[in-house]
Amino acid sequence: MAEPAKLELLTRRPGESGFELHEVQSSQAYGGFRPQRAPHEEWSLTPQPRGPDGSQNVVLKALKRDRFLLLNQKEYFLWEHFDGHHSLSEIGRTFHFEFGAFDYGVIRQFLAKLYHAGLLAEIQAASLRPSLARRHERWWARFLAAIFTTWERIAFRLTDADRYCATLYERGGFVFFRWPFVLSYATILLCAIVAVSRLWPDAPAITARLAARPLLGSGILLVTIVLASMLHVLVHALACKAHGRKVREMGFFLLQGIKPTFYADVTDIFMSSRRARVMVDLAGPMVEVVGGSLAFIGAYGSQPGVGQSLLFGAGIVLWESALLNLYPFSFLEMDGYNILADLLAMPTLRQQALALFPTLGRRSRDGKPLQRTEWIQIGYLALCLVSVLAYIIAHLDAIGVELSVWRAVR
Amino acid sequence: MSSAAQAVPEFLHKVAFLQDLDDQTLSILAPLLVTKTIKSGAVIFRELDVSDALYIVAQGGVIVSKHVSGDVDVVLTRFYPGDFFGEMGLFDAAPRSATAHAESDTVLWQLGRDAFERILSDHPAMAARICYRLVTVFIQRLRATNEQAREAIRWGLEATGYSPDETPATFGRKST
Repeated sequence: MAEPAKLELLTRRPGESGFELHEVQSSQAYGGFRPQRAPHEEWSLTPQPRGPDGSQNVVLKALKRDRFLLLNQKEYFLWEHFDGHHSLSEIGRTFHFEFGAFDYGVIRQFLAKLYHAGLLAEIQAASLRPSLARRHERWWARFLAAIFTTWERIAFRLTDADRYCATLYERGGFVFFRWPFVLSYATILLCAIVAVSRLWPDAPAITARLAARPLLGSGILLVTIVLASMLHVLVHALACKAHGRKVREMGFFLLQGIKPTFYADVTDIFMSSRRARVMVDLAGPMVEVVGGSLAFIGAYGSQPGVGQSLLFGAGIVLWESALLNLYPFSFLEMDGYNILADLLAMPTLRQQALALFPTLGRRSRDGKPLQRTEWIQIGYLALCLVSVLAYIIAHLDAIGVELSVWRAVR
Repeated sequence: MSSAAQAVPEFLHKVAFLQDLDDQTLSILAPLLVTKTIKSGAVIFRELDVSDALYIVAQGGVIVSKHVSGDVDVVLTRFYPGDFFGEMGLFDAAPRSATAHAESDTVLWQLGRDAFERILSDHPAMAARICYRLVTVFIQRLRATNEQAREAIRWGLEATGYSPDETPATFGRKST
């Protein structure tokens, strides 16, 4: 690690002819720094529901940059003390009295978050930071980073999505969130369940017809998935508008750097209630549920043939997609995960769980008991692991079936 | 204060901006230099003073600083025998951009702007050689200033909590 930066200062005392020289390292000055949060009109705070351990997070919204920070109790404490009057040394002492331990790393990390969000008065040096962040990765790390960078460039975003969503909502989008429509979704779902139960005995024959035309089947199902995904995020965005909140942006990215997916940034919903968040989370998968249901009903009403098989296949793909979206234990932050995190009042459950995992060995050796929230995080990790393994095993079987069909066709 | 004409030739060969001058040319320059003796801790010139001369350090050391706030200056650089400073004063009448202090008992040779202008008009070939060397030194100093600016910015960032190794965690919900 590089030595702390230093400045040499020269001071003269009044009435004396000489001068004194002092070398001040950045680390020394750090203790005397008095961070000051941005003026009150530039941010807003919304307390979140209490978590299982009684702790309460707060969402801090930077109004100018439209960024959100989730503050835990310690960070909220720091935020309260960043008034420009307390030095970091003083804050460190107070922090120690309040929480029993202190690590400057906590402050550094929090300050970095605040800079990033433009929530600290003074320093605005964001453009210089990347050039100062010197990385010395190995060649394979650089190679991987280059691949990821190239891959990530596929992402795109629509920053004025809120305007479009607001227009769409006002010009008819709102009806999808009215009770008659919600009841009609339930009716369609019930009809689809009946249709599937009637079609089920013929399912092998229906899917075999689809497998007989693999290119056509795969193409149409792929288009169905892409269209449903787009509609899915649009409905999330409209649901956000239905609760009077802003859609920050929409676009396409790699979820957790892995899964290519469309998204709607609905972070502003954190300034609303937990119920609103859950409703927004549920709205998206309803597209797949209703779309899949309509496909099944269509298949039931069709004559046996390729058309019926395509509709049946689309129904299966859409319902599976809804299920995957609503299933919380996949390591991915999809709708089910968001609902779980909201219900547990642990909005960073996944990150916390992943951060906890590497420390478990040391914790076990130290004999330090786990707290309730940590048990929840371990439970989440365990369920994710089991679920992913089960999914892979189930699909290995499906891949085997698919391959045998291909061989038979050839 | 006295003329430095007799002591000049040997030492002036070591001064960066005079390196291209031969003994004959230096002997033209030498009578134009004025010797100044400064006590340790004394100010040679202050920031915003009238700027009208270049100084060559013959003995001792000089610290150049810039005012920051109150009675605190930040040290920009140091000069030792053979170095020169205040060269902006030869070309431009703008106020001094920094303060020069004697770090120890110091002897300087001063080349005033009037004397330099005489060289420019009477000995253009000599002036051209001096200017070429001065430009080279300006470039080196400009590079050093960039490094200082970078270090000062790093200092500011580190002293106010920013760590390049820590990427701030972001919070948000992207519904997918």
